[in-house]
Amino acid sequence: MPRRLLVVIALLSFLSGWGWAQEERELLLGLVPEENIFRLMKKHLPLAEYLSEELGLPVRFTILARYGDVVEKFQERGLDGAFFESFTAVWAHERLGVEPLVKPVGPRGSSTVEYIFVRKDSGIRALPELRGKRAAFVSRATTSFAFVLSSLRRLGVRSPEGFFSEYYWTGSHDAAIYAVLDRWADVGAAKEKIFHKVSREDPLVQEELLVLARSARLPDMALCVRKDLPLDLRERLREVLLRMNTLEEGRRVLKGLGYVKFSPIGLQEFIPVYDLLGRAGINLRGFRYE
Amino acid sequence: MKRRLVISLFVLFALFSLGTVITIAYIYNTTSNLQSVITLHRVEIIRQNLVINAQTVQTHLYTFGTVFGKEVDEIVQNVMDLDRTVSSCLGCHHDQEMTARLQELNHLVEDYKDALSYLVTISANPERIERLRRAAITIGNTFLGKAQEMAFLADQRLNERTVRALRSINNSRAILIITLVLSFFIALAIAVSMTRQITEPINELVAATRHIKAGELGYTTSYKAEGEFGELIRSFNDMSLGLKETNQKLMNHLHALANLYSISLSLHAIGSREDIFGEVSQGVAQLLDVKQCGVMLLEGEEFRHQWPAVGLSRQEAETLHVPKEKMQRCYHSTRRKALILNEGISAAPTAEAEAALKVRNLMFVWIRHRGKLVGAIRVANKNKGEFTEEDVRLMAILANNLAVALENARLYESLRERMRQLQEAQEQLVQAAKLAAIGELASNVAHEINNPLTSILGYAELIREETDLESIRRDVEIIEKESLRARDIVHQLLEFARKRPLEMAQEDVNALLQSVLELLSVQLKDTRVQVQKELQPLPPITADGNQLKQVFLNIINNALDAMQGEGVLKVRTFTASGMVCVQICDTGKGIPQEVLPRIFEPFFTTKKEKGTGLGLPISYKIVQAHKGHIDVRSETGRGSCFTVRLPMAPGGASFRTEAADSAQA
Repeated sequence: MPRRLLVVIALLSFLSGWGWAQEERELLLGLVPEENIFRLMKKHLPLAEYLSEELGLPVRFTILARYGDVVEKFQERGLDGAFFESFTAVWAHERLGVEPLVKPVGPRGSSTVEYIFVRKDSGIRALPELRGKRAAFVSRATTSFAFVLSSLRRLGVRSPEGFFSEYYWTGSHDAAIYAVLDRWADVGAAKEKIFHKVSREDPLVQEELLVLARSARLPDMALCVRKDLPLDLRERLREVLLRMNTLEEGRRVLKGLGYVKFSPIGLQEFIPVYDLLGRAGINLRGFRYE
Repeated sequence: MKRRLVISLFVLFALFSLGTVITIAYIYNTTSNLQSVITLHRVEIIRQNLVINAQTVQTHLYTFGTVFGKEVDEIVQNVMDLDRTVSSCLGCHHDQEMTARLQELNHLVEDYKDALSYLVTISANPERIERLRRAAITIGNTFLGKAQEMAFLADQRLNERTVRALRSINNSRAILIITLVLSFFIALAIAVSMTRQITEPINELVAATRHIKAGELGYTTSYKAEGEFGELIRSFNDMSLGLKETNQKLMNHLHALANLYSISLSLHAIGSREDIFGEVSQGVAQLLDVKQCGVMLLEGEEFRHQWPAVGLSRQEAETLHVPKEKMQRCYHSTRRKALILNEGISAAPTAEAEAALKVRNLMFVWIRHRGKLVGAIRVANKNKGEFTEEDVRLMAILANNLAVALENARLYESLRERMRQLQEAQEQLVQAAKLAAIGELASNVAHEINNPLTSILGYAELIREETDLESIRRDVEIIEKESLRARDIVHQLLEFARKRPLEMAQEDVNALLQSVLELLSVQLKDTRVQVQKELQPLPPITADGNQLKQVFLNIINNALDAMQGEGVLKVRTFTASGMVCVQICDTGKGIPQEVLPRIFEPFFTTKKEKGTGLGLPISYKIVQAHKGHIDVRSETGRGSCFTVRLPMAPGGASFRTEAADSAQA
């Protein structure tokens, strides 16, 4: 009798463990709100389906609503990885040890340039003229804001506090653009990729906004995974993403995302970011979003 | 019937097809209505979900950013559901008003998404965030108002559509019930009608077959039907009539065979050819229902019609004769089958004679014996219809039997002739023996009596001469007379007993007869006897003329005695079968049948004292000595007829005339 009981218990344990394992076999990936979160989510749903099919396990995307709490949410929600912008990528690497896996490559490449822009009718033509103006930035934890800080530092301004009459965080690049366009703010900063994308959708952007400053080329987005992601899964994920452009279905998904392919990426590609952060006076080890 | 069945089945099929089509149409209509209602309900659910989603998002807006707020993913999911719902509705077919409303909703959703995205992602001072929240809430409320308005309108339409659908369903149900009931009753009516149309004629046919089974052949049903059953009933009636007709034919055939058997049986029981001809003619005439019937047989080089025959007199029958070769050509031309001439008799071998006999149709059935054509059964003028193969078959059987019967008759005739000859020979032997014995006795007695008689006569003469007494003289004269008579008898006895050699010479029988008649002319003069002579030319015979004259004299004397002085004496001569015949007939009292066999016995006489009873025995002996014979036929009260047949002299056998043959016939 005890023997039978042991067998039953073992079987139940196995089944429950198997069921747990089944539940655990979901790959949860985060998205930083570089643009309208609904469009962002809608755009990434085909990729989730594609990866689910190729990897043989469900893949789900979740919105990391604010750049400031990306790292906390990544850890808090137990994400397996996330498409980070370069700032959040290096920040998460420093904080959580996440490792860049692949980078998306668009028609213009895999890098971006940060813009500082104003309305043409504002009369502002140089950065010093921004003093006392209202500003709308995407987030503190973005390379666009780091570029603003480094630019201000070149002007001798150590902090935006007191330089701008008001500044706030739109949470997304397109929101920052529309904030200036809609006169919610006088100056904004956003990445070139989104600026051009919004320009294509809304001609007023090109007509009414003026780019005051451009940063050097910086890595744009990268898929980073947690350091303890099983090696085989990591490798399978990397392999699936890297050969997407070789498959018809993969190419269709890539096109929907506005990408051409995924390429391998290493930490060395983030050196320009580290440089920018250094010029901006941002120390990632002590960086707090507050 | 087949056509009716096909039509009925087609009608049933069409009926059920129509019913099926109607049912399918109404089921389709009903399901379409239900589908429409279900779709509308689904749409209504979608709209309600839309409203609920919008309300949920609105609720989230109030709590977002607080500890009670939901996660962004949930808001994103709700909004995306909202977006998906509106987009899917926009993709459906709607009227212009509804499309415009949906497009407006879609714009509102886009605005709402933008506002929400700002709100969710923004990090700004509370006033700005509150401003964005209010903007989003305003858009959300507008969206909710529009969505509820549309839901209300849709609800109204749903109610209308539901009422219409229910009404249509009720109508469909009623029509389906009516269709099914009507189909059932129409199908039932068709089935009953078809069953009746099938069973009624079958029952009628079954009843009719029972009539036939009961022996009522020829029973027909008067049941009227069309199509296959009509044809079946007509065929049945034809079959019944055919059975009756066949049965009748069979019975007729059996009857004919029975008649044939009867005829054949009687043929074999008949010994005479004439009787056979008569029997066959009568039987065939009755069997085939013909006016004329008879048998033609080969006689020498001709086929001659025999008599008796039905429908033909002897003279008419004699006109029907055909040369052997002609008949045989005809026989072979018909390939030895019967010759049937139903239309015209020109092809008949007896065409000319047939035309004279007014023959309409004619049939010759060949009679063969041992493979050779020996005759034909001739039948003519069938009363009803024409001659058929059936007639031929019957006649062929009869012809075979007739051939056998004729052969049997011939054999029988031959046998009888042989028997007769044998008997005659035996009688002659007996007679000869008897005569020899009598002759011997008479000779001895005559010799013994003759001497005493001579003595008696001598003494009687002596007494007559020596006596004067008249009385004695008369007595002596009587003695002399009787003694002389006795001596005559003795002489006759001696003559009878004496074997006198014949003095044979070529003699003319007619001349011998003439001399006898002349000798008797004196005696006849005193009588009223009329002498008729029919003396045909005769060939000479080898005979003893005196003895033959004695024969004729004896016979004629007897005839004159029989006629007692009045009557007709008929004397005929002719030839027959190589013999010269002399026939002497009288019209006297005739010879009784019981006496007839004894008339040639010696001393048998019916003349009492007048006769010695030796005349005819002596005549018989003389004729026998000439290798001839005497026949006598007599009928009491009508007379007698003696025929003396004498063989012709060598070379006289070819002497023959047609008159003589006809006289023999």
